[in-house]
Amino acid sequence: MGTAQQLPTHYWTACSMEIQGQRMSTAKPNPGLFKRNPPIAGEAEAIERAKNGDADAFAKLYALHKRRVYTLCLRMLGNISEAEDMTQEAFLHLYRKLGSFRGESAFSTWLHRLTVNLVLMHLRKKGLQLVSLEETINPSEDDAPKRDFGAKDLSLSGSVDRVTLERAVASLPPGYRTVFVLHDVEGFEHNEIATMLECSTGNSKSQLHKARLKLRELLRQPENLPPLPGPNARGKEVMQ
Amino acid sequence: MSLLPNLNFETMTPAEFSDHLPELIASSQGSLFDNPQLTSFFAANPDAAALVRDLEAIATAAKELFEPEAEVEPSDDVWSNIASKLGQPDPSEV
Repeated sequence: MGTAQQLPTHYWTACSMEIQGQRMSTAKPNPGLFKRNPPIAGEAEAIERAKNGDADAFAKLYALHKRRVYTLCLRMLGNISEAEDMTQEAFLHLYRKLGSFRGESAFSTWLHRLTVNLVLMHLRKKGLQLVSLEETINPSEDDAPKRDFGAKDLSLSGSVDRVTLERAVASLPPGYRTVFVLHDVEGFEHNEIATMLECSTGNSKSQLHKARLKLRELLRQPENLPPLPGPNARGKEVMQ
Repeated sequence: MSLLPNLNFETMTPAEFSDHLPELIASSQGSLFDNPQLTSFFAANPDAAALVRDLEAIATAAKELFEPEAEVEPSDDVWSNIASKLGQPDPSEV
């Protein structure tokens, strides 16, 4: 893992502003995310009922979205215990903020953004070690992707299976992992990531590219990748 | 499709291509292999072509991680903790 550096205060201030709900409730609709997050049967009704304090309706929302929220937390945090804690926090926060959901974006998109911001704030409270833009800009020599093209006879094409990629993503330096998960997995645009991380879109593109280069290196030697966390791994730092 | 019209791929070196690659990929609407501007460059630089092919394969595979099949179930404790704070029943009973 690269040497962690202190992030500027405004980095986290922006995240804090996001979590207050202003930006979430005023965001413009993103047709792409609507497409990736189509409405779920019964979801709209459950949202309206939950807004009015219907406990069963909120439980239904949890049942509909728990897997996606938890998986997002696990990918970003790399730790089952923390991922479960943040999933809990995300839904408790949702319960309090549900009234501010206006439907400008898909509910799951809105919930994902809420979750991402909570996770980023959590990482800040941990002391910034796990998500440092400095780290992604200047990763340690071991973590930095190599700039050469590599031999073509080791091409990965057609051989990137899901489980192996999941293990490789888990092995990424945290800063790379954050940008990769947000862009390539969750579907956030570079301008959205730049806003969340308070960096330039060019920086977001650059970090994503480095993340993919690093993944390419990791995927060439899948036998060296650590296993994915199992159900007995709670409390362990399983990714990194 | 026009990629960064100021770039001349006929004279571009592999190192220069590497420098431009993040922006090229980010600005592309699809595969870089679909762009005729790059056909000759890739033919002359197979290692660069292999790199782009790998990076595109990784990006494509990443999208599969968003599918429900790739999602993980949290333990029952998560809802128990939430419910204890909200005073709600188990969602599996809803």
